Amino acid sequence: MTAMGPDDASPPDMRRFSTPGADPLALDEDTVERLLTGDLQPHQAPAGYAEVAALLAATVAPPRPEELAGQAAALAELRAVTRAPAVSARARRTRRRSRRQRVGLAVVAVAAALASGGAAAAAGGHLPGPVREVARNILVSVGGGEPGTSVAPPALLGARPGTTAAAPSGPGPTGLAGPASGSAPTRAAGAPDTAASETERLCRAYLAAQDKATARKLRAASFKQLADTAGGADKVLAYCQELLPDEAKSKEGKQKTPPDDHGQGQGQGQGGPPTTGGDHGRTGSPSTRTSR
Amino acid sequence: MIGPDFEAVLATAAAGDEQAFGRLWHDLQPRLLRYFMVASPAAAEDLASETWLGVIRGLHRFQGNEPAFRAWVFTIARHEVLDWRRRAARRATEDLPANGLSEQAAPDDPAADALEGLSTRAALAEVATLPPDQAEAIVLRVVAGLDVQRVAELMGKRPGTVRVLTHRGLRRLAERLGTAAPVRGAV
Repeated sequence: MTAMGPDDASPPDMRRFSTPGADPLALDEDTVERLLTGDLQPHQAPAGYAEVAALLAATVAPPRPEELAGQAAALAELRAVTRAPAVSARARRTRRRSRRQRVGLAVVAVAAALASGGAAAAAGGHLPGPVREVARNILVSVGGGEPGTSVAPPALLGARPGTTAAAPSGPGPTGLAGPASGSAPTRAAGAPDTAASETERLCRAYLAAQDKATARKLRAASFKQLADTAGGADKVLAYCQELLPDEAKSKEGKQKTPPDDHGQGQGQGQGGPPTTGGDHGRTGSPSTRTSR
Repeated sequence: MIGPDFEAVLATAAAGDEQAFGRLWHDLQPRLLRYFMVASPAAAEDLASETWLGVIRGLHRFQGNEPAFRAWVFTIARHEVLDWRRRAARRATEDLPANGLSEQAAPDDPAADALEGLSTRAALAEVATLPPDQAEAIVLRVVAGLDVQRVAELMGKRPGTVRVLTHRGLRRLAERLGTAAPVRGAV
């Protein structure tokens, strides 16, 4: 095996480190220290290290104006944090995640509403686009047919009665790995169906509903597709938990009885109002990040 | 370095004083940017902003002298880098190299530049061509101005390992620069 490159701690290298002289570029520890701390000017550096000394000096050259251009923005951040500690950077950074969770909650609401029949009307009309998509897919599978059947009133479907609304034909080859979380922003913006986000949606609904009676219906049809992606029906849970760790973790805490009395029977316990996800994430459209 | 005033400057900055904070920022922002130019050049500005957010939010809790403060700031900076790389790794559409400057415009002839006064940017680009651990150890020692012990803590390595990393890095730089201009007159 000659896998050891010049960077590995091979014995010859270590010897060189301690016995300068055998090697034209040998360095002792003291010289290393003096080079690193800028104690050696290029003309004082040992043979072969003048350029290195000059290069290191260049890395600590006085700041150029463009390197100091962001001070106003930094001071603005200081003011913002000092005056309003609640609006923290962390809140901003987790905005995307809370949005994702909110969509997840909406899915729970849809699932619960579907399970309890009449409650669906209450949820109709103001569902965000992505949720409508999920609702459509759930309907397709649960109802065994198209939206517009008796399972839910057309209002829930974004007023598209009679459309076939077939679920996208299947998750792409990139089911598990990267794209899942990366697709969050586009999905939140109400945009397109990629295979990955489709899988993610199914997962979300699955995680939201699993271990409830509703889940049996869901599993029956639509989630066959998910099972195929996950590599088997028994692997769906683990697959989805890995794909959406946030949803999987936060599920327990989010199950609330809806304040209204529409729900009945199975699934009622799952539906929280979609607004509990925290609305602070929704309002800030342009990033308030400091200028670059 | 801020020097003897540091303690007072820190205390005033922590209380929200903009002038005092400005001094801290002025001292460390260029160093942060240069560190990021080696560690995550594609996001250097953003990472610097995020780092300062962390600094601002933790400033009132920090206790220590100036070297400790620097080490603390660069600890935050390093976490931002690791965080950014994790996020970048999850973004399937983007494929940014972990050690990106090596793929950006490298100086045509760094050794020749050295004679005329290497630009900071070109020098950092040269450092960034080293193996990531070596590059980071060197930048934390030189640009952040941290001692071996603090760099070791920051990188989660033993001090001896950091010494070896910087030693190899310097040596490799010497080899590269020497090869780039084998014939050299008086320096």
